[in-house]
Amino acid sequence: MNTVEIKNLIKTFNGERAVDNLSLGIEKGKITGLIGADGAGKTTLMRLIIGLLVPDSGEVSALGLNPYKQKPELTSKVGYMPQKFGLYEDLTVLENMKLYADLKNVPYEFDKLLKFTSLEPFQDRLAGALSGGMKQKLGLSCALLGDPEFLVLDEPSVGVDPISRRDLMQMVRNLITPETTVLWSTAYLDEAHSFDTAVVLDKGKVIYEGKPHDLAPTAQEFENKVIDLMGGYKKEKSLIAESYTPISSDFDCTVEADHLEKKYGSFYAVRDNSFCIKRGEIFGLLGPNGAGKSTSFKMMCGLARPTSGTARIMGIDIKKNPEKARSNLGYMAQKFSLYGNLTVRQNLEFFAGVYGIGLLNRKKRIDEIVEIFNFEHIQNQKSEDLPLGFKQRLSMACALIHNPPVLFLDEPTSGVDVITRRDFWNHITGLAKKGVTILVTTHFMDEAEYCDRISLFYKGETIALGTPAELKQRSNSNTMEEAFITLIKESGK
Amino acid sequence: MNILQALIKKEVLQILRDPSSIIIAFVLPLISIIIYMYGINLDSVKVVMGIKNDDANPEISTLVKSFGHSKYVNSKVYDNMQELENGIVRSKLKGAVVIPNDFSTKLSRSQAADLFIITDGSEVNTANYVQSYAMQIANNWLAASKYKYLAGSNPVTPVVRTWYNQDSNSHYFILPGSIAITMTLIGMLLTALVVAREWERGTMEALLSTRVKRIHIVLGKYIPYFFLGMISMAFNVFMCVGLFKIPFRGSYLVLFGVSGLFLFTCLGIGLIISSKLKNQFLASQVSLGAGLLPAMLLSGLMFPISSMPEIFQYLTYILPPKYFITFIESEFMAGTVWEIIIVNSIFLIVLGILLFVIVYKSTDMRLDK
Amino acid sequence: MIKESLRRVFALAKKEFITTWKDPKSRGIIVALPLLQLIVFANAITMEVKNIDVAAIDRNNSVESRELLSRFEHSPRFRNIFIVDSEKEFKSKIDNQKVQIGLYINNDFSSALRGQKTSDVLIISDGRQTNSASIASGYASQIISDYTSEFNKSSGASINPVVRNWYNPNLEYRWFLLTILIPMLALVITLLLTALSIAREREMGTFDQLIVSPLSSFEILLGKTIPSLFIAMVLTCIMTACVIIFFKVPFMGSMLLFLISILISLLSIVGVGLFISSVCNTQQQAIIGVMIFQLPAVLLSGYISPIEDMPESWQALTYLNPARFFMALSRGIFLKGMGLEEVIVNLIPMIIIAAITLTLASRTFKRKLG
Repeated sequence: MNTVEIKNLIKTFNGERAVDNLSLGIEKGKITGLIGADGAGKTTLMRLIIGLLVPDSGEVSALGLNPYKQKPELTSKVGYMPQKFGLYEDLTVLENMKLYADLKNVPYEFDKLLKFTSLEPFQDRLAGALSGGMKQKLGLSCALLGDPEFLVLDEPSVGVDPISRRDLMQMVRNLITPETTVLWSTAYLDEAHSFDTAVVLDKGKVIYEGKPHDLAPTAQEFENKVIDLMGGYKKEKSLIAESYTPISSDFDCTVEADHLEKKYGSFYAVRDNSFCIKRGEIFGLLGPNGAGKSTSFKMMCGLARPTSGTARIMGIDIKKNPEKARSNLGYMAQKFSLYGNLTVRQNLEFFAGVYGIGLLNRKKRIDEIVEIFNFEHIQNQKSEDLPLGFKQRLSMACALIHNPPVLFLDEPTSGVDVITRRDFWNHITGLAKKGVTILVTTHFMDEAEYCDRISLFYKGETIALGTPAELKQRSNSNTMEEAFITLIKESGK
Repeated sequence: MNILQALIKKEVLQILRDPSSIIIAFVLPLISIIIYMYGINLDSVKVVMGIKNDDANPEISTLVKSFGHSKYVNSKVYDNMQELENGIVRSKLKGAVVIPNDFSTKLSRSQAADLFIITDGSEVNTANYVQSYAMQIANNWLAASKYKYLAGSNPVTPVVRTWYNQDSNSHYFILPGSIAITMTLIGMLLTALVVAREWERGTMEALLSTRVKRIHIVLGKYIPYFFLGMISMAFNVFMCVGLFKIPFRGSYLVLFGVSGLFLFTCLGIGLIISSKLKNQFLASQVSLGAGLLPAMLLSGLMFPISSMPEIFQYLTYILPPKYFITFIESEFMAGTVWEIIIVNSIFLIVLGILLFVIVYKSTDMRLDK
Repeated sequence: MIKESLRRVFALAKKEFITTWKDPKSRGIIVALPLLQLIVFANAITMEVKNIDVAAIDRNNSVESRELLSRFEHSPRFRNIFIVDSEKEFKSKIDNQKVQIGLYINNDFSSALRGQKTSDVLIISDGRQTNSASIASGYASQIISDYTSEFNKSSGASINPVVRNWYNPNLEYRWFLLTILIPMLALVITLLLTALSIAREREMGTFDQLIVSPLSSFEILLGKTIPSLFIAMVLTCIMTACVIIFFKVPFMGSMLLFLISILISLLSIVGVGLFISSVCNTQQQAIIGVMIFQLPAVLLSGYISPIEDMPESWQALTYLNPARFFMALSRGIFLKGMGLEEVIVNLIPMIIIAAITLTLASRTFKRKLG
């Protein structure tokens, strides 16, 4: 029996088909993973299924109801977690849960959920003050309230560390009944591999539907197969790296953290953090959400003031001479933070100007970047209208526009599809070979393998520092993900 | 009902946590009441005037003196015409009086004597005051001077009596007016921001995926802000009547009843702006530009509606503050006048319901638009 | 060094300009709304009171009293004269605001006119609309005095006012109003424009991006100031042109001084706006901040009640108010042809306001980094 039946569904936005003549059945009592490149139509499809959007043509039925005509009946049986979680940041954890419990007409029985999410000690904290992982758990808890027959989760694990990700998965598996149907969109293919069914979307069409294990027995092979399905990824020489003009320097440490410390009251967000990154090295900063990674990152680039200690970029003290230190820096923020109402080209022009590229060179440089990043057809589009993958590419392009010897990337691949991710890392490793020093954070443990050295961060302190191989050896693990979890758990003891 | 309660509770918590609602509802009205009470003076404007006396007759020097004694005039005596004129040019003086050399001669011959009055016309209001003060002082002087027997008497004098506000105390009407402005701000600006905020932050999407109905969303915004507005109203009335002793001659029941109707229409306007624009920046610009300024300038609070060109008079029919200001000033100063209450209430009810329907229709339940 | 700095500032200024200007909605609101307001308010607002309705009780009912009432009927300011019989009806007409003025003519009116005794005509004005009522009762007194003085041929010693209204001979309220509306609308729009600019970038996360770039605080400040100043300047010039061309208000002063004055006035407002913005974390806070500044700024600008007439402590407070000086300059240069010396006197406080607010703004957004 199917929970959702879709026939010849079409939905267009501004003349472009986001969902293109799509037919699909989603089996009752199963977890179905929705995979696809950015802009493949995952979110649109989910919104169509629960009646938040109206289809142009075609049929949808969910739980035997028509989402368009019988939305009220349908929504009372559905738990939905949108990409932005839908939490009220100025309400507390408990108030948010009570609100959604009332809206779903279920009693205030939160013990199980609070225990599972370990949010119990934070019940009275404002949702806005939670760390990313905890917000996600709270969002999921709200969606799970009232034991919905059909759970729809739109990328619930974006930007979440491996431990929290396991927790989320556990939560869903443990808290649903055998009859519950789950539709879960994700960019993590290992996650998708563990589901009952996988649906791969491409350009609004279903290109694969079936058991993940039928496609490939292991998560790694599954990833490769999915990439093949989506058109394949050919590793080519990174044009970005090719076009990079190396800047010679004779520093031992091009990026250096010198006893960095950040205190809030008596609480140490970061405690006595020192490291030295050499020219051409990829240095990974890993750790669970809320461990102090972001704070370290912010102090390194001068966005937050250290309580004590300092950081040096190309030998220049970020505290004493911030402007000069930053001119050596390319920075890519975690959240998309370019100007949404400027076009792609205007954004590039802006950053070129801000980083002091002269008018004569500017046009040449921008044309070059546009060509390398394949922006030709979108360069006059507003950047806020781009799919996430393109937004991230644009962020990276802006960070690279002035040929910086040092690159800071804060979760550059968060929420990006698997092909784009590989493409990104191709560029990153290429640039490092050319001598660019790279400081990067990520939650994808497979990506950590690309790093030359990794600093594992937990509760404000570095608990392990070494090459990926060293870390795996130390924790007797086969994969970085296992190593991560083991090392964190060990230090927690 | 449960859903509605939950939404209202949520909104109330948000209001309580958000200092901006408290600021608009209590701090801003407090600031404006204090400014109106102590900072500015709309009744009697004191003007700085220059005086030049060309008449050597000693009797006339008493006229110069009476300018000095007036509590409305701060006079400066000049000998040099050039200097006097410079005073006006440089805005040191708001006006001047020049007594010509034949002033006493004409009066003693029972003739009309010219008194030259110069005003700074660039400040029209003050210029009017200068004229009338100068003439008042001069006529009073004449009536008490030795020329009084030579003056022709006017058998019929017009006597002006101001009803409802015998002392013509401007606080009596400006403070109720300021209450109306505060209500407009709460109704239009605050609500213009709140729906836009839910769209910007993505919480609307989560709400729409629950069994919430359109009526819940609409009432879930109307009701909490209605109460916030009424509490602020009570606070304002307390400040005016309790603290600053503005006389209130009407009935509190009627006052709060009609205020409720007014608030109902304002909330409608704010919510329409908000749900149409879904963007806080634009919503605030529009609600200030199209809501607050017309409420202050076109509602009859400061300028008479009946003197406007006809099209603009029609325009004011769609401004709820027009009805409310007429009502609240009358209720404060004249007490309960049923005809005024009924006429204005009917307009407010009709506008309010109309706006409610538009709000209801323009509340999107899907993400399509 | 300086060249690079200029390049950065220019890039930021260009971006600011595109973001505010590119979106048709925001462009419409920034340009069309103030112009629309200028036109509507200039046409609608008047201090002159017209179309006055009158309720009259004529207890005299003589040729003279009827003549007096017909004088009212023929006056362009008065519209309908309702003759009523009972005091009850008289009162209800006033209570219900059917009329703005009540006239009560005593039964000894005609005999008084013939000089046998004295009498008065009672004018009732509606104190609920204090402003217009007092003006209307002034008109009414004038009509009565003019009429009765015709009977008093043997005029004795009296004072005849010879009034010269400099700069505005007919005391046209619109001239005054328009020279006030220009600074007022410029204030409203400039404040919102600047106050939201940094707060919005903070909300969107783009402000971090600016800070990580080599832009110094001063350069960010400059890059934020120039476009707002430019847009506000263009807008103010358009409004000024409208006032001169369409509303035919005579421009008496030096155009150069006027342009310099609005530039500096706008700069001080931009400073206040950016300061508000640098303190606020969200757009909503910034909007509230604008309201809290704007309300007193307009009320204490001297437009509603003259500065000299305020209590001393309040007068001192107005030195912090750029709107006060902006309005004085606009009115002074426009209508009075204010001279250089006096322009400078008014500009100095604003230069100080601008310097302080802009310095504080650039300090504050650095300190906010945490």
